[in-house]
Amino acid sequence: MIKVKNLTKRFTPEKGLFDLNFEVKKGEVFGYIGPNGAGKSTTIRHLMGFMKPDDGSSIINDLDCWAKSAEVQKLIGYLPGEIVFLEGMNGLDFLNLMQKMRKHKMTQKRDELIERFQLDVKTPIRKMSKGMKQKVGIIAAFMHDPEVLILDEPTSGLDPLMQRVFIDLILEEKKKNKTILMSSHSFQEIERTCDSAGIIKDGRLVALEDIYSLRTVQRRIFEVKVKKESDIELIHQSQLQTEIMGEKTAHITVQGNDQEFIQLLSRCEVEHVDTRPQDLEDIFMHYYDRREVAQ
Amino acid sequence: MSWSLYLSMMKSHAKMLGGFIYGAVAYIVLIIWIYPSIADMKGFNDMINALPEGMRKLIGMENGINSLADYIAGEFYGMLFLIILMVYVILTSTRLMARLVDQGSMAYLLATPNSRVKVAATQAAVIITGLALIVAFTTLSGIAASEWLISGYELDVPSFITFNVLTFLIFLVIAGYCFFISSSFNDEKKALGISAGLTLFFYMLNMAGKLSEDTEWLLNFTIFKLYDPIKMINNETNALLTGSMLGVGALLLFGGSLIIFKRRNLPL
Repeated sequence: MIKVKNLTKRFTPEKGLFDLNFEVKKGEVFGYIGPNGAGKSTTIRHLMGFMKPDDGSSIINDLDCWAKSAEVQKLIGYLPGEIVFLEGMNGLDFLNLMQKMRKHKMTQKRDELIERFQLDVKTPIRKMSKGMKQKVGIIAAFMHDPEVLILDEPTSGLDPLMQRVFIDLILEEKKKNKTILMSSHSFQEIERTCDSAGIIKDGRLVALEDIYSLRTVQRRIFEVKVKKESDIELIHQSQLQTEIMGEKTAHITVQGNDQEFIQLLSRCEVEHVDTRPQDLEDIFMHYYDRREVAQ
Repeated sequence: MSWSLYLSMMKSHAKMLGGFIYGAVAYIVLIIWIYPSIADMKGFNDMINALPEGMRKLIGMENGINSLADYIAGEFYGMLFLIILMVYVILTSTRLMARLVDQGSMAYLLATPNSRVKVAATQAAVIITGLALIVAFTTLSGIAASEWLISGYELDVPSFITFNVLTFLIFLVIAGYCFFISSSFNDEKKALGISAGLTLFFYMLNMAGKLSEDTEWLLNFTIFKLYDPIKMINNETNALLTGSMLGVGALLLFGGSLIIFKRRNLPL
């Protein structure tokens, strides 16, 4: 459904997109992960036809996204990364305008979504908080029941409850065989919804795999606090990659060997286990390292 | 053109447009209203004639005030109306394109199945409508005020209308290049600065050109050369030729805007 072929856009020799290739099949949910400034939004701009590639092409449903952008839009529901609406309107005015510009008359799904996200649509847009704008954006992207959804960091600004609602919505659309591409800088968000994922860094795709193999290379670091000092010794002597942080605290890196980790802990008297919040580099060290070696 | 976008844009521009129309209408009515007292004032023309010629040209009173038409053309069209239209055209053209790209709301308009050309053409229609409304309301209130508010002074209505059509076309060309600039830039402030700078530059050339015979050649480089209210209202210019030239110019400029907007990369 979505095809990106040799997509290249050079802003400077170091910045831009370089020879990007990936494909999202119909009915698939694709997670597009990368740190800030990696090129996620730039790729999406190409898919939306806002930018002309220097080389290569992006294609949705066999239509070139640059040359046939207006036609491609018929299929797409789009949520921009940075949402800005037209001035001087309230939420409902804006949604109505979008529907009219799409010549779409059904309001059932729209009202259903408004209900679901508990949005007060009569609020003027300039008085809306970030989260409210995000909700309006999500409704605008889903309300015309599009075949393809392109979502740029969809959950930013939503509280955990609404993130849950959003994830349910994605899973429903997935059941209806919709094709979804969503970008994120958080692996957790992608993990819950996506079938496969691409990891991008500095404008280059460093990995393109299904979600299960990504899970096995994902690194998590646990902070373990034990009751006895002898336990620390035990942890230190294990096969796992460990780092002793204090008298009774250690950091244990787990990468696909969850079983060993649990077995190790079962032999200790554990007082407290916690995961350390991590950035993407930590999680996918594996891929980032491999790329640096290749360079 | 997307009709629903057009209506929604007109609605959000209504307040600003209303302000401009109100200003123009109130001023033209006022100025016509006080005409009898100026026309009856003895020695007014002597006072004007005492000014140096360049100065007289500059304030649009080369021959003093001989008729109501001269007076309206010189006092209103030569000064305040010119400024009102310049400000309206520069502000509106920037708001319609560059601002939406700069802020990012253009993304939503283009994320609908309307092509860039269609969206830009709709925005162009908004500024053209606005300009036409200002000129139309001013023309009507000018005619109404001279008919009903004062007596004993005739306004030649057909040539007043022709003159207003020409005024509209001249500002349509100015709107055209401002819209072109607005369609070419991602930065609202830059677009506004360049549009305003260029227009002021043309206006200054016009002033300098009128000051003396030595500087007259400067007039060849400014659009305002074609805007000579007193001559226009007295039918001393070839309205048809000037009008069609301006029409073609405006068409090219707006057409060019659509093309450049269609082809460029947008940072949305």
